Amino acid sequence: MLLDTGYRPGPTAALRESLYRIRALAGNNTLIRLRDPGQTISYVVMPMVLMLVLKPLYVRAVEGGTTKVVTGLLVMFSVFAISIAGNAILAERTWKTWDRLRVSRAPAAELLIGKTLPIYVVMIAQQSILLVYGCLVIGLPVPGNVPLVLGSILVWAFTLLAIGALLAAIVRSHGELSVIADVGALTLSSLGGALVPLSLMPEWAQVAAQLSPGYWALKMLQAAVVGDTAGTMLPAAILLGIALVCGVFAIRRLTRGWGRGGLL
Amino acid sequence: MLHAIDLVKRYGPVLALDGFSLSVAAGEIVGLVGHNGAGKTTFVEIVSYLIRQDAGHVTIDGRPPSASRGRVGVAPQHIALYPSVTVREHLNLFGKLAGLRRAALDGAIEELTVALRLGSFIDRRTAGLSGGQQRRVQAATALIHRPGLLLLDEPTAGADLETREAMLDVVKQRAGDGAAIVYTTHYLPELVELQATIAVARSGKIIARGTYDELVDGLPGEVRLIHDNEEEVRVSTTQPAATLIDLLGRAERPISTIEVHNPSLDDLYRSLAVSDAP
Repeated sequence: MLLDTGYRPGPTAALRESLYRIRALAGNNTLIRLRDPGQTISYVVMPMVLMLVLKPLYVRAVEGGTTKVVTGLLVMFSVFAISIAGNAILAERTWKTWDRLRVSRAPAAELLIGKTLPIYVVMIAQQSILLVYGCLVIGLPVPGNVPLVLGSILVWAFTLLAIGALLAAIVRSHGELSVIADVGALTLSSLGGALVPLSLMPEWAQVAAQLSPGYWALKMLQAAVVGDTAGTMLPAAILLGIALVCGVFAIRRLTRGWGRGGLL
Repeated sequence: MLHAIDLVKRYGPVLALDGFSLSVAAGEIVGLVGHNGAGKTTFVEIVSYLIRQDAGHVTIDGRPPSASRGRVGVAPQHIALYPSVTVREHLNLFGKLAGLRRAALDGAIEELTVALRLGSFIDRRTAGLSGGQQRRVQAATALIHRPGLLLLDEPTAGADLETREAMLDVVKQRAGDGAAIVYTTHYLPELVELQATIAVARSGKIIARGTYDELVDGLPGEVRLIHDNEEEVRVSTTQPAATLIDLLGRAERPISTIEVHNPSLDDLYRSLAVSDAP
């Protein structure tokens, strides 16, 4: 007997079914992440090493050097993590699995949530681990307003996820993604003051820095770790705006798939 | 179950479908054959709602493809599996996406494990499987929710004998259960074994439809004899058995090889090309 009965659930049951499918998708994507953790591990370990090495330089060069070295490298390597999101989404294209999912009962929104949720968690975990490491090992003062820091991490991870999804939707290969993500990440994060404190950079760079999401992420996180709620809000709003633009564009492209009809 | 009428699909300057019409009833297997570029995969993608037609209509059990997600099982031509995920995890994922839960899901996995002979590698990651094993896994993910319409796009391409046997058995069984099945292939013998209706696609449209016997009736096959001195005799004939008997009766030397070729898909295409010519 065929299982397709034509049964249509009510709103509550539909929500339950939707959550069931999202859980299945997120579970599958978590498995994939756990079985290929190399990239994630390197983006956690590398900044830890660099924080230790660069801390004396920062402390001597600028006031609040410890905060700047921790938040700066956190931002830089979280920007590198864009490629984790990009690769995860692009892999669905190279494996040709995205179209298999599109044929299922799960609508596009569920597919995207199920796909990106585990990556979002990875990004949040990466930033949280680096902050905790910063406090325990590097000497970053323990933030007084933890929810504000957590909120900042959530906003920044969301922005990175949206940028990563956008890149995955427009590039044609993992090689292309790698070039754009690595060069872009290094340029944007260092321009934003993640590598060298902004005050030590040339004047033109200080002006151009405001075009970089990394600049706003740094401002937000540095304000958040010292408990400056007002100083956190404007950068957070700007980052959410960037995330919204990138996210909408990415969703538009991804929901239409990578078919042969030039639908990209 | 499936009705496609006058489908037109254009990719830039290429007209992939040009008035493609095909209907498949519940319980019917339609073998869709045609050379590469005939429009088979484009048709499958339109019915799956992966792409949209430029013109024409498709309904699945009275609904458009957009309202039929989850009612269709699709095994695409290319392998589309997660390399680091095991076979069982694939079946779990696609079963859950179709809404199957606990006992129903376990039962469906068990059934397909037996039917498609997945048991020996069900807990292995798909990256380590052979091409034939991957084909079977892919088919299983399309069959897991017992869809009313199955679209199998060259499910045995490059597959071994075991895969073919398993696949054909399952397809026959699902058709027997009432599923409408579109089965694209380049191997006519598979369609004969499935007792499928054969639809021949060329240049984006269906140019002939019927049973194998109806379509190849009157087409010439070939009888080939090789004598012990390597002298070869080839005769094109619509009556291979009678011709073979006649040739054997007239043979003056011992014969080392006898070959009888029934009409092939290429013979069918050639004959349709001739009859379709202006």
